[in-house]
Amino acid sequence: MSDSWRVAAPSYRKRVYDRHVGVDQRSAAADPVSRRWVEQLHSSHPRYEQAAARLHDVLRRAALHELHRRRALLPSLAGPELDDVAQQCAHDAMLNVLARIDDFQGLSRFTTWAYKFVIFEVSSKLARHTWQRLPPSRTDPEWAELPDMAAGVRPGEQAENRERLGVLRNAIEQDLTPRQREVFVAIALNDVPIDVLALQLDSNRNAIYKNLFDARRKLRGCLAGAGYPLTDEEAQA
Amino acid sequence: MMDVRELDELLRAQEGDAGCDAGVPIMDQYVELELRGEDPSERFPGTAIHLRVCPGCRADHDGVLEAARRFGGVEPD
Repeated sequence: MSDSWRVAAPSYRKRVYDRHVGVDQRSAAADPVSRRWVEQLHSSHPRYEQAAARLHDVLRRAALHELHRRRALLPSLAGPELDDVAQQCAHDAMLNVLARIDDFQGLSRFTTWAYKFVIFEVSSKLARHTWQRLPPSRTDPEWAELPDMAAGVRPGEQAENRERLGVLRNAIEQDLTPRQREVFVAIALNDVPIDVLALQLDSNRNAIYKNLFDARRKLRGCLAGAGYPLTDEEAQA
Repeated sequence: MMDVRELDELLRAQEGDAGCDAGVPIMDQYVELELRGEDPSERFPGTAIHLRVCPGCRADHDGVLEAARRFGGVEPD
């Protein structure tokens, strides 16, 4: 087990020590167990080492559980490799928790607050792992495959669905910006995970999501403008 | 086959969506409200909308909820 988070602890310890009163004030609203966590994760506390080791262990277990929960995304990860990724996630989450413990306000249980960091680490590391193994075609806008909208419906509906699909194809090609098209095709049509695309485009999840949201809104507007609204509200607008 | 409903799903974009970043600082509070049987959409409506349409954030939310349920009772000593 890597204990390198302990190496980073002195700077954290000094900072928390300097702000000890502030920490107590900020976490005053916390439940008793959460207050004990915060107190014992203070470097001057006699149980600091035990509390930090206990937190690291539970973060590792939470990471391993989450990796198993998302295993379908990465069938190539198994056994010792999963354990290794869980260890890395716990390590990095531990550093984050210790560095930001001043920010804990007691608005949730301390453990729930800490699990947030380890789950974000799992997301980030899985995205990187997937990105390294992703076929390049999955993010190629030219590779888009719109689902068949015509199969299995009545003849009249088939014709309308084909026309609707044609409007959508044109709107994707002509009305979206290159970035919106790239993001929409990759995520909505080719099922590329948003965090993987963010890595691919050297961006972040929020920015990519904004591109996707704007693309979808524009495409809905194009369909409604061509007489193919998707909702009653769009039909009345 | 893809019908209008599925196309609506493909192009889902709901006004009031708070986006990905808004959920990061409050994810733990959101989950705690759920664990207490309260409705987090009353306090965090924009994030509630967002979690319905963003698979990445929904996966994170589900992970935090699962961890809090499974390992929530851990004490430091």
